[in-house]
Amino acid sequence: MGKMNNLVVLSSDDEENERSLSSNRSYSKPKSRSLITRSNPNPRGAKKARISNSRSRLSKESSNVNEIGLLFDDFDEVFNGFKVSAGKRERVSGFGGSNANGLWVDKYKPRSLEELAVHKKKVEEVKAWFEERLRSSKDEFGPYVLVITGQAGVGKSATIHVIASHLGARVCEWNTPTPVIWQEHLHNSSAGITYTSKLDEFEIFVERIRKYGLIPSSSAKEPKSSKILLIDDLPMTNGKVAFGRLKKCLHLLVRSTQIPTAILLTDYGEADSADQTARCSEELKLYLESAGACKVAFNPITNNSIKKTLSRICRQERFNVTAEQIDLIANASGGDIRNAITSLQFCCLKPDPLRSLSLCDTTTTYLREKSDEISALDGEFSLKFGRDETLSLFHALGKFLHNKRETENAMALMDQDEFLLRDKFSRLPLKMDAPEKVLCQAHGQARPIADFLHENVLDFLCEEAIDDAWTMASYLSDADMLLATFRGMLTRYNEAENVLQTAAASVAVRGVLFGNSHPSPSRWHAIRRPKLWQVEQSSLCNKTEIVKRRFVGYSGLTLSDLSVVTTEYTPMLKWLGYGTSGGLETHQDLMQDNKTENNFDKMNLDDQQEIETTDDEIEDW
Amino acid sequence: MLWVDKYRPKTLDNIIVHQHIAQNLKKLVTEQDCPHLLFYGPPGSGKKTLIMALLRQMFGPTAEKVKVENKTWKVDAGSRTLDIELTTLSSTNHVELNPSDAGFQDRYIVQEIIKEMAKNRPIDTKGKKGFKVLVLNEVDKLSREAQHSLRRTMEKYSAYCRLILCCNSSSKVTEAIRSRCLNVRINAPTEEEIVKVLELIGKKEGLQLPSGFAALIAEKSNRSLRRAILSFETCRVQQYPFTSKQVISSMDWEEYVAEIASDIMKEQSPKRLFQVRGKLYELLVNCIPPEIILKRLLYELLKKLDAELKHEVCHWAAYYEHRMRLGQKAIFHIEAFVAKFMSIYKSFLIATFG
Repeated sequence: MGKMNNLVVLSSDDEENERSLSSNRSYSKPKSRSLITRSNPNPRGAKKARISNSRSRLSKESSNVNEIGLLFDDFDEVFNGFKVSAGKRERVSGFGGSNANGLWVDKYKPRSLEELAVHKKKVEEVKAWFEERLRSSKDEFGPYVLVITGQAGVGKSATIHVIASHLGARVCEWNTPTPVIWQEHLHNSSAGITYTSKLDEFEIFVERIRKYGLIPSSSAKEPKSSKILLIDDLPMTNGKVAFGRLKKCLHLLVRSTQIPTAILLTDYGEADSADQTARCSEELKLYLESAGACKVAFNPITNNSIKKTLSRICRQERFNVTAEQIDLIANASGGDIRNAITSLQFCCLKPDPLRSLSLCDTTTTYLREKSDEISALDGEFSLKFGRDETLSLFHALGKFLHNKRETENAMALMDQDEFLLRDKFSRLPLKMDAPEKVLCQAHGQARPIADFLHENVLDFLCEEAIDDAWTMASYLSDADMLLATFRGMLTRYNEAENVLQTAAASVAVRGVLFGNSHPSPSRWHAIRRPKLWQVEQSSLCNKTEIVKRRFVGYSGLTLSDLSVVTTEYTPMLKWLGYGTSGGLETHQDLMQDNKTENNFDKMNLDDQQEIETTDDEIEDW
Repeated sequence: MLWVDKYRPKTLDNIIVHQHIAQNLKKLVTEQDCPHLLFYGPPGSGKKTLIMALLRQMFGPTAEKVKVENKTWKVDAGSRTLDIELTTLSSTNHVELNPSDAGFQDRYIVQEIIKEMAKNRPIDTKGKKGFKVLVLNEVDKLSREAQHSLRRTMEKYSAYCRLILCCNSSSKVTEAIRSRCLNVRINAPTEEEIVKVLELIGKKEGLQLPSGFAALIAEKSNRSLRRAILSFETCRVQQYPFTSKQVISSMDWEEYVAEIASDIMKEQSPKRLFQVRGKLYELLVNCIPPEIILKRLLYELLKKLDAELKHEVCHWAAYYEHRMRLGQKAIFHIEAFVAKFMSIYKSFLIATFG
């Protein structure tokens, strides 16, 4: 521990010496911070207070939770200390040949409303909300909670900070503490520190906020009202119970807090929505709204704004980056400004970025022997800077089902091939990436992919092509067999399972692409949700019903086989007019219900909103 | 009470259809300690009836005083505890259950629950420790893992309990289990035997049976005695006095399958395939086992088919039936069969009629 403290001192010394650095760092936000009172007009004061706090940590009596939080702060300081020294060394050796220190993302963090890349209207909206809440006396306005949603890197927290400094308010921030790893836990418990779950900590925090408001910090000189609470990251919840607790907790917060509070929820792209957390956040959003919180949704930042910001940075850094490149970076970032700035910095690190890039391109194109150089160039650029492209599941399915192919077979390509295929087996080249790549981009899991293909593929066949239908059905049956191989033994054969999953998805997709040699003329198709899932559900329901009725035969002296009950007793009893609970009719009713439900679920390839809801349902089933 | 139950022989002595087996079983139980038993044979051949009569022979009338229990078992499976719900039927001396109800968790049922029950030995009036009988149904539906643990259970607790296993096909029971049991094959009764039983029931109910009527039912029953008696009773409700030309109605799901078959024969196109899929879903929702659907569908198709195609169609049905067992979702495979049939039949039609 002593060692650690030394390092902390060292890092704070750094801070004293290098003004520019310290201003950078005070803007940066270490993730492990538990609760930090930070005053924007005077960042250094708060910082210093905190450090002295951590120095006298051992002597000071504070709650357990705080203690842990501060301990993390120490870790964080150590980490930052390293970072700083690394940066210093870099500067000494003159690497990069620029006066770049620290990350540009931090360096060029917006400081005024004008610098924000977020759309003016949204900023105005948020600002107005805060102004109203801050100016008015209590109970005049409704809930004091604002929910801001938007994908990563659209400037949610930056907006709050800038607005706060504009209004002269202080931002108090809750960040979810870093998770305790097992070794750390062992270490802690030997040191007598008990573990509290992050959710517990959050609950305690919210409780405190509700009851006592914010604890006035020593450096607080502003009027009491001008404080903003920022909840940047909600604790992870696992399972229904924990999620329920979080919901309850947030509900209380929305209902009773007296401090203007902003809750930031990060949207995940629909491609990631198979993820549990993404679904939770979706649900939370709705829940918070229903509890009465205001909601502002931030859109991805427009290309123009990103370009403007990037060129501003370039000007300030005195780098000559062509407009073309900025354009590319902006395009590749997908509205994520943080990503765009980092890409720009990366791009500027190289002595001559343009040349190295083009060099890179020529080598790869040489290797690939691709004729279409321009497209290859594009691809390389986007791979260099951008986040990986993602596709929605339905977009990918649409690609597979529509089966777009080149109209002319490139005979030149055929000649190069080692072997010739019979006409029956040869197909025109695909108008898309390799199916596996598309699958990868869509984050598709084999099972749902196979189910969706199975449900929808017949619509895309031409009327006469029953042979094709068989080919596809056969491949899908192959895929199903592959998927079933290790059923119920997941834990032991994890590796093999993964390989099988990929193989099965590949077989299903390629089978569908190959089999559909006579696609029906292209027209609008709705992609349906697999009816199979409903069928499975209701057949499971019926099965439990039937299990209860298995004493029908043998005058209850012994159990009958299920198949016998379903195929013989049930129809027979219906004939005989015995009052059985649920014959074929009731089950058909069930199917009817499902059918109507199905209509609601019909999806449109273009309609993102609906796709999201159905995506959620994929997980539910 | 249904006739199937009303006229079910209660003791080994009363059994008519498998008299020979019944007598052997009686000798086995009375003379010596009986080994583990494995009864297998097609549905409706009388396995359950034999087992019940055997239990009565072993324990007397107390074997018929059964109570149904629906209990949730807490099973400790390594890192977590599972809750498995299972219905059992038990008397003081025997317990009957369907371990395959637990689905892929059947392994735990076999390991834990059977172990638990095997431990509790009943004590008879003389203070002598008896043994408990476990009747396990549908053993062929157990997963391979479950069958392996069943094997261990059989060896470990053979001093305290006897297992009576019951299944349709012994080929799906592992070699290890089969060799530890006395295998009793119960054949499907012949049509003559069925006729004999039906006539006996008719006499007891005081019904007039026109000549050939019992034979008609027997023929329709596919050599399943239960099926025969059930349809006999349905006929009685539908029309009495019987006529020898009376229509023996088949089960509703069978009619539905026949409808599917004629759909397939009428048109071969992806659209029709899609409609057929919808109908197959309907059957699956009603829990008709997919193997039975496929078998019945093949039967219906073969009825209408040209002789030269029969061989090929049978081949593909067998092919997809096998894959269905290996696979997970039956509809994929049934549909593949239907598509293949359509494809074969269409090219046949084109070749024949142009």
